[in-house]
Amino acid sequence: MAVAALPHDVHGEVDQLYVETRELRLQGFLLFLVSDCVLFSSFIFAYLYLRNSGQGWPPAGVPRLDVAFAAWNSVVLFGSGATMHYALENWKHGKFMNYMWCLIATIVLGAMFLGGQGYEYSLLIFRDHLSWWGSGIFGASFFTLTGMHGFHVFVGVCYLTVLLLQSAAGVYTRSKHFGITAGTLYWHFVDVIWVVLFSIFYLI
Amino acid sequence: MHIDPAVIERIGAIAGGIVVGFVAIYALVQDWKTPGVENNVFKLMLLLLGVGAIVALLAGVGVLGTFHGGAYSS
Repeated sequence: MAVAALPHDVHGEVDQLYVETRELRLQGFLLFLVSDCVLFSSFIFAYLYLRNSGQGWPPAGVPRLDVAFAAWNSVVLFGSGATMHYALENWKHGKFMNYMWCLIATIVLGAMFLGGQGYEYSLLIFRDHLSWWGSGIFGASFFTLTGMHGFHVFVGVCYLTVLLLQSAAGVYTRSKHFGITAGTLYWHFVDVIWVVLFSIFYLI
Repeated sequence: MHIDPAVIERIGAIAGGIVVGFVAIYALVQDWKTPGVENNVFKLMLLLLGVGAIVALLAGVGVLGTFHGGAYSS
């Protein structure tokens, strides 16, 4: 009996620990997102300061950015935010297969966004000869900020892929799924940052 | 018949912007009364996602991204 009772007790302790620490984990993750927000903000404000302190904008020789393609690529990323939101909702309502399909759609859309960004980079670098190190304020700011964001998307895609595998392996339950919540928060954050970057680089 | 890829991209941005914007606002309305820090953060994110979709939609239409100051955009 003691052997049979042990796993149950240990499981109970783990659940209790989860309940007690969930709020702390949430606060910790939100603090991480705030710190990431500060990181992006510092680069964004540096870009805006440099942009407004020059002799006019855009600098001479800066290639034309493709707004139409960027708008399409942005919608792809924003769409992935919507599918990720519904992935979490489906998980909360116990619809496992719907959750899996939404999560797969999110991963695919995230990868499509990265592919689109890679395509845009290739055109800017090889066709328009824009570079990170040799194109002044614009090139440095553009590649630093969009590259940093792209890296975040890449990390997010990896994270969501791990979530997909963990979910399929039964790691999460309906009441114990902080990893999925954190993944959703992170993915929304990446979406929201792109709203700002898209606006400042392509629209204004 | 030649179709400019930019036209297809703009149509995609407009259609996608409408769909994503609608979904984001719908999800926001659905979640409006859910309590807790986590859900309030989700609401803020959904609101900004909706704003982003509308911005992309307006860029697709050509309302945004064609200002004289943004002359480096096509």
